[in-house]
Amino acid sequence: MKCTECQTEYIEGALFCEECGAKIGTASQLTDAAGTTADKGTALVLASPGGGALDIPDKDEVVIGREDPVSEVFPDVDLTNLGGMENGVSRKHAVIHRSGTDYTVEDMGSTNGTYINKKRIQPHVPQAIKAGDEVRFGKLAFSLEAA
Amino acid sequence: MKNELNIRCVMSKEALTVTGAEQAVYALVDIKAVGSGQPRTMPANFGLVLDRSGSMDGEKMENLKEAAGYVVDHLSENDLVSVTVFDDQVETIIPNQPLKDREEVKSRLGSIIPRGGTQISDGLKAGLAEAWKGFSKDRVNRILLLTDGQTWDDEAACLTLADEAGRKGIAVTSIGIGDEWNEKLLLQLAERSHGNSHWIQNPIAILDAFRQEVESAQSVAATNLSMTARMSPGVKPVKVYATMPMISDVSTKALNGQNVMADLGSLDSRRGQAMLIEARVLPQKAGKFRLGQVEITYDMPARGIKGESVKADLFVMFTDQAATAAKVNAEVMNLVEKVSAFKLQTRALTEAEAGNIAAATQKLQSAATVLLNLGEDEIAEAAEKEILSLKRTGAFTAAGTKKLEYGTRKLTQALK
Repeated sequence: MKCTECQTEYIEGALFCEECGAKIGTASQLTDAAGTTADKGTALVLASPGGGALDIPDKDEVVIGREDPVSEVFPDVDLTNLGGMENGVSRKHAVIHRSGTDYTVEDMGSTNGTYINKKRIQPHVPQAIKAGDEVRFGKLAFSLEAA
Repeated sequence: MKNELNIRCVMSKEALTVTGAEQAVYALVDIKAVGSGQPRTMPANFGLVLDRSGSMDGEKMENLKEAAGYVVDHLSENDLVSVTVFDDQVETIIPNQPLKDREEVKSRLGSIIPRGGTQISDGLKAGLAEAWKGFSKDRVNRILLLTDGQTWDDEAACLTLADEAGRKGIAVTSIGIGDEWNEKLLLQLAERSHGNSHWIQNPIAILDAFRQEVESAQSVAATNLSMTARMSPGVKPVKVYATMPMISDVSTKALNGQNVMADLGSLDSRRGQAMLIEARVLPQKAGKFRLGQVEITYDMPARGIKGESVKADLFVMFTDQAATAAKVNAEVMNLVEKVSAFKLQTRALTEAEAGNIAAATQKLQSAATVLLNLGEDEIAEAAEKEILSLKRTGAFTAAGTKKLEYGTRKLTQALK
């Protein structure tokens, strides 16, 4: 078997990849879901590990962050109630761009970073995402799933 | 009297799949003293080995004197104490003796004047010689070595002394202040002699480190602790880590064919000790399978117990049901993740030392991700900073190295 992150071979029963530290098992299950759903071009949701899913509104630019009425920040997807504050989510943390069935995520220069499949992405550089990917804002992780 | 210690063995998976291939399995061996009450305190034999080099002048020396004074105030009259100071010369200012006249000891501590360079091995050698004079298996024998500087060309001599101390049963706790000392050396001194190690950024924290050491010495429940794990045929141990009190890779010393054998020093009744064994298991038929047996031997001098042992078996089920075999124990998973962060940062350092900057950066990036997953933002941030340092200068910073080395080793101590 191979690590889905770095393609290193690992033995069954291993919990973390020796080379890149990626979790083994849960990650591979997520990837299995990817191939089937992404091809169909279905709308995506952000599924949280604790259960439940957040819809990604059907618009070109979806702002992910934490609501802050004082500074008049009202993100499209508000992570306040999911522990956004404690988990280092910035008020304007990231933007998900949607073009037909293609999605990208762009970090808006957040303090604690945006991660795709455990790799931190460059701020202000949109990166393609698809069903099966893990997207993390600060310490708050979601898996992208077909709606 | 067989209930002084409790061994708890937890496997990464209770069930493994019946398959044609070899599989990995992790066993957590958690050792605790039974009964949460105060253990009968063993008398201590405490040796302070203190750096008085010129760079210690000022705030560091003032705080050091205060911290040494705390030790003197908090040991009992049954305890033995010695104080050795070193720069590039050594002076034993308090020879090993019962702690009768605290004021006299403190007055001599007050007379320490910073001067000269740093030669750790000479100080350690003299300090160990003093501790050896008062050595007894009925005492907690411990050296507290504090330095703020690099030692010159005597690292090997220091390690030999630590090995010898460990064999004799004298633990060396190493404490480094500031950024200009060799963390590899200080960590190894502690690991080889079954002592602790502390990194102190601010001199004010010297007192806290000394206090922790006094409390730890007064909480020793068992001494001469050792673990032997005998694996069944078809099971091969491949890695062994100490995970509590600090994470360290003890594989080279502990792996012995089918068996794992590790000396563990003394058992702190508050924290206990824990080991993680990673093994490979050959294919087995469905049913209960005994991976092996763990035996812990120990002395409890305060209760007149010597060479006692407790045993526990390691079992897994082999099953055809994939869903059952997919379940992973959360406690072991978390521990393996912490060990994984420790391993990745260690490899990053090794790669950087060898000049492989790209590989070092990649390992450190992975370490940072694992640390963030663990919620260890501060250490993750230190890793991110070192990635920048690697890009700019091709090397780690002195402070960043210490933060990572100590931070990842102490992940299991996090107060959560």
